[in-house]
Amino acid sequence: MIELTNVSRRFGEVTAVDRISLTVETGETCVLVGSSGCGKSTTLRMINRLLPHSAGDIRVDGQDIREVDLQQLRLNMGYAIQGTGLFPHWTVARNIALVPQLQGWERARVEARVTELLDMLGLSPAEYADKYPAQLSGGQAQRVGVARALAADPNILLMDEPFGALDAITRENLQNEMLRIQRRLRKTTVFVTHDIDEALRLADRIAVMDQGRILQHDTPDAILRQPASAFVESLVGSQDRGLKLAALQSVAEVMQRHPQPRQAVPEKVSVGAQDSLRQALSVMLWQQLSELPVVDDQGLELGVLTRERLWRETA
Amino acid sequence: MLAPNRVILVLGAIALLLFCSLDFGTIQPNRIVEGTPYGALDALEWGGFALVTLLLAVTLVAAVLALPGRYWAILVSVVLLLMALPWLFSGFLEDQLGERYPYGRGGFAAGFWSLLFLLALMLVEGLRQVGASAWLRLTAGVLVLLSWWRALEVEALAGLSLVMEFQTRPDQFQQALLDHLALTLGAVMVSLLLAVPLVLVMIRRVRWQRPVFALVSFLQTIPSLALFGLLIAPLSYLSANLPLLQQLGIRGIGWAPAMIALVAYSLLPMVRNLFVALTEVPADLLEAAEGMGMNRRQVFLRVQLPLALPVVIEGVRMTTIQATGLTAVAALVGAGGFGTFIFQGLGQAAMDLVLLGALPTVALALAADTLFTALARLSARLNGATAQPSLIYE
Ligand SMILES: Nc1ncnc2c1ncn2[C@@H]1O[C@H](COP(=O)(O)OP(=O)(O)OP(=O)(O)O)[C@@H](O)[C@H]1O
Ligand SMILES: [Mg+2]
Repeated sequence: MIELTNVSRRFGEVTAVDRISLTVETGETCVLVGSSGCGKSTTLRMINRLLPHSAGDIRVDGQDIREVDLQQLRLNMGYAIQGTGLFPHWTVARNIALVPQLQGWERARVEARVTELLDMLGLSPAEYADKYPAQLSGGQAQRVGVARALAADPNILLMDEPFGALDAITRENLQNEMLRIQRRLRKTTVFVTHDIDEALRLADRIAVMDQGRILQHDTPDAILRQPASAFVESLVGSQDRGLKLAALQSVAEVMQRHPQPRQAVPEKVSVGAQDSLRQALSVMLWQQLSELPVVDDQGLELGVLTRERLWRETA
Repeated sequence: MLAPNRVILVLGAIALLLFCSLDFGTIQPNRIVEGTPYGALDALEWGGFALVTLLLAVTLVAAVLALPGRYWAILVSVVLLLMALPWLFSGFLEDQLGERYPYGRGGFAAGFWSLLFLLALMLVEGLRQVGASAWLRLTAGVLVLLSWWRALEVEALAGLSLVMEFQTRPDQFQQALLDHLALTLGAVMVSLLLAVPLVLVMIRRVRWQRPVFALVSFLQTIPSLALFGLLIAPLSYLSANLPLLQQLGIRGIGWAPAMIALVAYSLLPMVRNLFVALTEVPADLLEAAEGMGMNRRQVFLRVQLPLALPVVIEGVRMTTIQATGLTAVAALVGAGGFGTFIFQGLGQAAMDLVLLGALPTVALALAADTLFTALARLSARLNGATAQPSLIYE
């Protein structure tokens, strides 16, 4: 658990972070979102003491971070940044092995861990372990950056726009990767982005920041339905809020389930159970249909999604 | 599409022109008398003259004709010429000295030097054009040096005045080499040891940057002769009054003022390169390293220093080359080294003695250049800069 209480940070005259209070529960992903210069990175850097805070209290698992040994504090927090921060003179394997090595793991254990992480992030260890960062694509490098942050199995993950510099498709792939990993590992995560869609997708709770203050700290659903101020409303966009809400829920959560799964009719237009309501809506619009069969990966039809149900859910 | 190579064409044409028009060698009946110049045809007679002209013509034709494999023809011709030069000159010495002038001596003249210099440039360009590996470069160099070495070994160049100057003082030559190396390397080492703490302080405390840079730049602007001279008086005084210094061999003249001056000159390139090298390491990498849990020492030793190393080595390279040249001047304050021959030669108007000092100085500078360039490449490669110089064919 990470607790910030009335935390401020000043740089000379500038107050970058202004008396913010924020609690990130254990296993929760909190996304800090806001426009450039609003103090997101500063907040993140105060948590691992790259920047000392000027006022207030920061506690990690109940302990004041100023009382914890600096190295111990950081070794226990995975850290991934925009532009990867991979060391160009080290191979992928050595980059990932950094924190385990600093913690004094045995060689064999480190190697096994590197292989496991490369596999987890979809990079074949045989192919990538001995490459240098300059030989990777942007997306591959970011994957390695995430693997490095996860390497020593830290309790906490701090990520500062880790997918910032990527194209939309690679970005979405990595977000999916991130969701999958989070479902499995449940790390306490603080994730910084200025992309509201990324925030809505990844967050358990979102903290919207502006000029060093937190304007609203709530679930994605609540941020969309009840924006606390005009700024938050403009951030989430008033026009396509319905679509954003629809994107938050999966078809499986809303469909009318058949008593027994049945064999799907081949060739018939359908949606996947893990697709979002937004995708289902798009299919309905495009195909001019008022209901869609819902199928799973094995090709079994699990239920149907009707327009009425969809309407009710996103209201 | 293969186009004519203009570089080799121009170099080859100039070489041919200068070879034919300038004097190739001189003959002196003895050390004092002014030499008689010989043109290439007179010096080499038809055989040697034809050989050189022919090989140069091959390079010219190959440079113009866009045939595949032409750079190999050029490389072979150039290397052959460079290997043949000492033997051709040896023939000239034999013909002209022989019984006629038992105390006579021969010297290289402008035509010979021009040919040597232009051929070296053509070799470099040819190697570049075939995308030569380090091994090929080394082989070409070794072949040429071996031929020259062999010529010296069998005393084929015994009548060369440069060789005679060397043979009258082999021990002095060796001593000069040792002194030169000791002074140069000593100054480079001391300046590196001084630069490291200076730069570390400059990085931590921004307000030290300006005064330190101002000081080392100022030192650089003092003319070298003046600095060597200026140090004589205070050091003599100190040495006369402090017996300890005397015991250490520190006097107003000799190695002490030379070393101090050389270190002073070496500080600017050393400090500047070290500072740039260390501060150019991207800040986000250092922050990532720190955020990952490395302590300050680990960040410096594992990330900052290795990433800075190629530029640091580049600084050492520049400093070494500069110090090699300045050490020659240090002979004026009695520090020894190859400068001794240069100044003696100037005093006696014996140009070949000057060469005996100047040529090894240049050779040392070239050797340092080659060594440190290779080291910088190696360290850049270890840093994961995988880009090899691409093989460029036209
Ligand atoms: N080291 C520093 N010295 C002085 N001012 C700083 C420093 N770091 C940040 N600031 C200021 O603090 C404010 C917040 O910066 P911060 O980096 O936290 O913004 P951010 O929300 O991460 O923005 P971005 O999305 O552009 O990364 C900015 O006004 C910035 O200029
Ligand atoms: Mg930022």
